[in-house]
Amino acid sequence: MIKIFIIIFSIYFAPSVFSAESAPCGDYGECDDYSYDLYNNESLQKGLATYINYCYGCHSLKYSRWGRIAADLEIPEEILFENLIFNQETKPGDLMTGSMIKRNAEEWFGVAPPDLTLVTRSHSPEWVYTYLRTFYEDDSKQYGVNNLVYPGAAMPNVLSHLQGKQVLGCKEVPIIASNGGVKRDENRNDITEEKCGYLKIKESGELTQAGFDSLIYDLTNFLVYVGEPAKRDRERIGWYVIFFFITFTALSFLLYREYQKDYH
Amino acid sequence: MNTVFKWFNDRLPIVNTFERHLSKHPVPKKVNFWYLFGALASVVLIIQIISGIWLMMPYQNTEEGAFSSIEFIMRDVDYGWVIRYMHTTGASMFFAVVYLHMFRGLLYGSYKKPRELVWIFGMTIYLVMMAEGFLGYVLPYGQMSYWGAQVIISLFGAIPYIGESLEVWVRGDYYISGSTVSRFFALHVVALPLMLIALVFMHLVALHEVGAGNPEGIDIEEHLDEDGVPLDSVPFFPYKVLNALVGIGVFMTVFSIIMFFFPEAGGYFIEKANFEEANPLSTPEHIAPVWYYSPYYAMLRAVPDKLGGLIVMAGAIAILFVVPWLDRSKVNSIRYKGIFSKIAISLFAISFLTLGYLGTVPVTELRTLMSVICTAIYFLFFFLMPIYTSLESTKQPPERL
Repeated sequence: MIKIFIIIFSIYFAPSVFSAESAPCGDYGECDDYSYDLYNNESLQKGLATYINYCYGCHSLKYSRWGRIAADLEIPEEILFENLIFNQETKPGDLMTGSMIKRNAEEWFGVAPPDLTLVTRSHSPEWVYTYLRTFYEDDSKQYGVNNLVYPGAAMPNVLSHLQGKQVLGCKEVPIIASNGGVKRDENRNDITEEKCGYLKIKESGELTQAGFDSLIYDLTNFLVYVGEPAKRDRERIGWYVIFFFITFTALSFLLYREYQKDYH
Repeated sequence: MNTVFKWFNDRLPIVNTFERHLSKHPVPKKVNFWYLFGALASVVLIIQIISGIWLMMPYQNTEEGAFSSIEFIMRDVDYGWVIRYMHTTGASMFFAVVYLHMFRGLLYGSYKKPRELVWIFGMTIYLVMMAEGFLGYVLPYGQMSYWGAQVIISLFGAIPYIGESLEVWVRGDYYISGSTVSRFFALHVVALPLMLIALVFMHLVALHEVGAGNPEGIDIEEHLDEDGVPLDSVPFFPYKVLNALVGIGVFMTVFSIIMFFFPEAGGYFIEKANFEEANPLSTPEHIAPVWYYSPYYAMLRAVPDKLGGLIVMAGAIAILFVVPWLDRSKVNSIRYKGIFSKIAISLFAISFLTLGYLGTVPVTELRTLMSVICTAIYFLFFFLMPIYTSLESTKQPPERL
């Protein structure tokens, strides 16, 4: 009987039952950490500007409206219209449907560039943040670049002049022993091996690496906002609702305690 | 005022109904938290109906409009996001409280004579809820709506002879399309809610006829006072209502934390792939049902043959209906049942939860093996019930609560 239990338990806790699924960020493995900040309007505004300048030409935000973004991000409408909206006929209440014609897009890229309103929700902010930073040169591809997070992405790296030319390289990495620690030789030096598939900048671009990361941070932050514009309100209002129900619970408990004296 | 009230009361049993079902309806005075989930389920039912009505107003039941109307609700309708998250959180919480409510029934023998009908109405409610949840999940017409529906509807195709025509009949088309969405909409907002409300009514009427159970599993009707009221009972109103209010307060706090801070619940309440519009040309990498169906999905996948899987899955639910006749124990409550019942129900709970987990993750060989084992335990719990409940020695329950 005990043997059966041991067998069942060892199956139950076998690592392969709970093993991680295919890595969330493709060939890159675990995504880089990302924490959004929806109260940082400056970051959101910068993200919007980057989006309109580099992404909006191909990727619509068709569930979102110009006026809503202007109001939420505290951008005066005149400034928005002067700097970021290039179509004279656009009105604040219009949806951001983009300007690319689907049939053309399919001809140029093979697939129409997807709408990105909900990209941080259908993937995750971490995924977007990592994806945009992991393009590398690959001559076998149509646009000369490939991506670690989403191998075979049919998208040119429109930000490469900012980031610089990134390539896949090799480096020495410490060998991890089976107990989880780093393997060392008798002189207590780490034993390393050469591993490939690491990104490195071959030719620097207009921005430093930190500058580029910060640009992508803002862009991702904006996409988190646009994925759910009510998120800020939701979390703010949530506290009041929870406070209400805690008070409600406390009061009804006091009432309940008073009444149950009748039958105890 | 009095005359007006009297006029109505002479023509409508207001006082009578109030007394019979509320102010004079006796309920056991000592129960535990397990007895709150019925009240909570009715709270969620009301939340679902009200939020559902408001969602219906801007929702478009067409192939082109469905997905974008949901985003319209989330963005352009004032507080539309509150209504929508209330409904999505409510759906999952409905199943959560109903599962706990059902488990309470199994623990304390709530299905035993004379409460068989209460149990059967309850099981029918659960069955209708599962259909209701599935139909509702298709309506946003995201990737998971589409592919989930594809998997579920194709199950009908496994039925011999009529399968294929049945599939087309359910879909209203040769593939999932706008006709599927609009007929699912009609069923989700009219047909099944009507059935649910009618069944809940019957569940409660039957319950009030035979009286509520208690964790000791004893009959409080055996000790009555001179007016024929059970000695160990209190009137439902106000005592049990106040008791329930505390439970509702705690429950709504948890509900609000999820709804306002974790509405997707890490992809368990709203799956990530459902933020992409349905696309018949691209299958998501991993199709998983929402968590409340996942135990049955794991059973379906545990059987290699599609029809066999369907039979196992249907059988898993069908067998719940006959539990009142499988339990041969002299006592109702798990507190006084023997060791075999205790082991059986623990194994049952563990295997059901394990199946729930297995149904949400991609299959591997080991996981399939575990699904098979857990499915076997699930069924053995019921198949062996007549044997272990009648053979084991039980303890004597107390006379009074």
